[in-house]
Amino acid sequence: MIQEKVMTRPKLSLEWLRSIMTNVGPFIFVIAVVTIFQLINPFFLSYQGIITLIYAMSYFLIAACGLTFVILTGSFDFSVPSVLRLSALICVLYIEKIGLLVIPLALVACLVIGFVNGLLLAKFKVPSFLATLGISIVLEGIAWYLTKGHLALMQNETFRSLATFFIAGFPSTLYWGMGVWIICTFVALVTPFGRRIYAVGGNLEGAGLSDINVARHRIYVFMLSGFLSGLAGVLYMSQMGGGSVRIGAEMAIPLFASVVAGGTALTGGVGGPHRTLLGVIIITWIQAGMAMLAIGQDIQMLTFGLIAIGMSIATIERKRIKIVK
Amino acid sequence: MNNQNTNKRIFSVITQTLKMHPVIIVLLALIVIFGSIYPDRFFSPINFKSILRQFVTLTLFALGPSFVVLTGRLDLSFVGVWMLGGVFVWLFKPILGMFAIIMIPVVGVATGLFIGVIQTKAKIPSFILTLSLLVTYTGLSALIAGGYPRAVEGYEFITSPLIPLIPTAFLLTIPIIAAAIFLMKYTRICVYLNAIGSNEEGAQLAGINVDKYKILAFMLSGLFTGIGAMILFQHLGGSAQMELKLNTIVWPLVAIVLGGTPLTGGSGGPQRTLLGAITFTVFYRGLYLSALHPIMVPLLVGVLLIVSIIISARGLKGVTVT
Repeated sequence: MIQEKVMTRPKLSLEWLRSIMTNVGPFIFVIAVVTIFQLINPFFLSYQGIITLIYAMSYFLIAACGLTFVILTGSFDFSVPSVLRLSALICVLYIEKIGLLVIPLALVACLVIGFVNGLLLAKFKVPSFLATLGISIVLEGIAWYLTKGHLALMQNETFRSLATFFIAGFPSTLYWGMGVWIICTFVALVTPFGRRIYAVGGNLEGAGLSDINVARHRIYVFMLSGFLSGLAGVLYMSQMGGGSVRIGAEMAIPLFASVVAGGTALTGGVGGPHRTLLGVIIITWIQAGMAMLAIGQDIQMLTFGLIAIGMSIATIERKRIKIVK
Repeated sequence: MNNQNTNKRIFSVITQTLKMHPVIIVLLALIVIFGSIYPDRFFSPINFKSILRQFVTLTLFALGPSFVVLTGRLDLSFVGVWMLGGVFVWLFKPILGMFAIIMIPVVGVATGLFIGVIQTKAKIPSFILTLSLLVTYTGLSALIAGGYPRAVEGYEFITSPLIPLIPTAFLLTIPIIAAAIFLMKYTRICVYLNAIGSNEEGAQLAGINVDKYKILAFMLSGLFTGIGAMILFQHLGGSAQMELKLNTIVWPLVAIVLGGTPLTGGSGGPQRTLLGAITFTVFYRGLYLSALHPIMVPLLVGVLLIVSIIISARGLKGVTVT
């Protein structure tokens, strides 16, 4: 580490690989994925195929945007799939009793969970990964308690049409996803709040010294992540029309892989929601393409694990960090 | 006079131990609480046996990662070593015969080396690296085994009863625990790992080959997990498992933190993990026997994890937590 300070010239191979991977890599990756699946399966880019791809990526994009903000500050949110599941289950279980009021109820619940996550990290100094892991376990218990292990079906047509209503040939979930993505990109790149998040992720101590309330921004980011996961859960329930405690069980690694595949580094301060779109396209289209070809869960897990490891090696900015734990 | 002196000394030793291991108070309190609520069920031989059985599972999973936690990192790949190793035992049984079980420690050490090298050279946060690797291993073992658990016969001697009430797996665990404690008490590894955990830059400036010892910590973790998984392989059913459960990953972490190894590293170690494991087991069995709904138990485990991390992180100043 001392040697690195003296050496001004970066290590050519890995740094070069990093700049290529973060800027051009995702585009090449997307083209490769589309070409390969189109060659194997000619129906991949047919109208029905594209509708399938849109259904697979839209809610995922919203959840991934939330996770991107957390990773931008250098933390990690493991609880995104659990929060998504909780919000989906709240919607399906209580829609009979209180009607469409379940949507704000679910979103507020998710916001509170995000707040607790942020509070544990910022005030109680619990490493975010473990705090969110513990919260995930608690949420899993709550999900079991709510459903009693049964499969619940959504009967409300209005709620179903939230994501499945077709506008201009595409399901409305696409417009939800793209809308949230555009807002997130705007917030991250243009607003002062976004700049402060980049500052917190780039240099925690420096951000604190330049009069940014670091603890408060960390909590905000986790609340944003919780809120967006909740929104993703509402849309998920709307398009799937039912579910059990198994919702989102295998989502944690694909979500993380999609964020790093887009080019957001784990160390924070590099990347952003604008890049996550390409990452989500890569991951969910591989997922949907494999599902169309009837390739099993095992190969999918293997692929996403390897993509996650490979892309985190490729995107991380090694010059800036000294000690990584 | 002499008698009084010895009394004083014993008293001071006890207070010192309690200060070092506050979890002992929790353990005693739990035993007293559960013992007074339902004495006949809690102090029954069957419950004693189940506590020992669960203690074995938890300890064997948690011993290895404690070495890594000591340096301030996390190793979540232990479940993956157990799964992939089990599949390899099934795969290599026709070729290697009974020696096929050697594959589990081999997988463990290879995993440790891989994680250590990637973590130190490519500088990826360890938890996410090991988590991704864990998922990769799950997919790989499901792929090799064809998607369902494969039973392997021939290793039943590991769990065959020798002494009534005490599981044989527990007896086999004792040498592993002794080896871990020996490493921590009588070799330099303990000092070096503690130094890296409490101040990595300082350790490097003091001339410790930090990268080497970090890789060594991951390899020790892999080795201990591998040897433990040889016992667990039979202890948990004699087949290679396929499904990844959140509980299997989290419980050993709870045992480590509860034992008094803070996740920021720098103090604690495998010897404390034993205390954490026994406390957690008593906590879990006590709740399991109680009138609580079974769904509530994992929920309380999650709360226990967070609370114990908060308590272990008290008084941390100048440490940035991400």
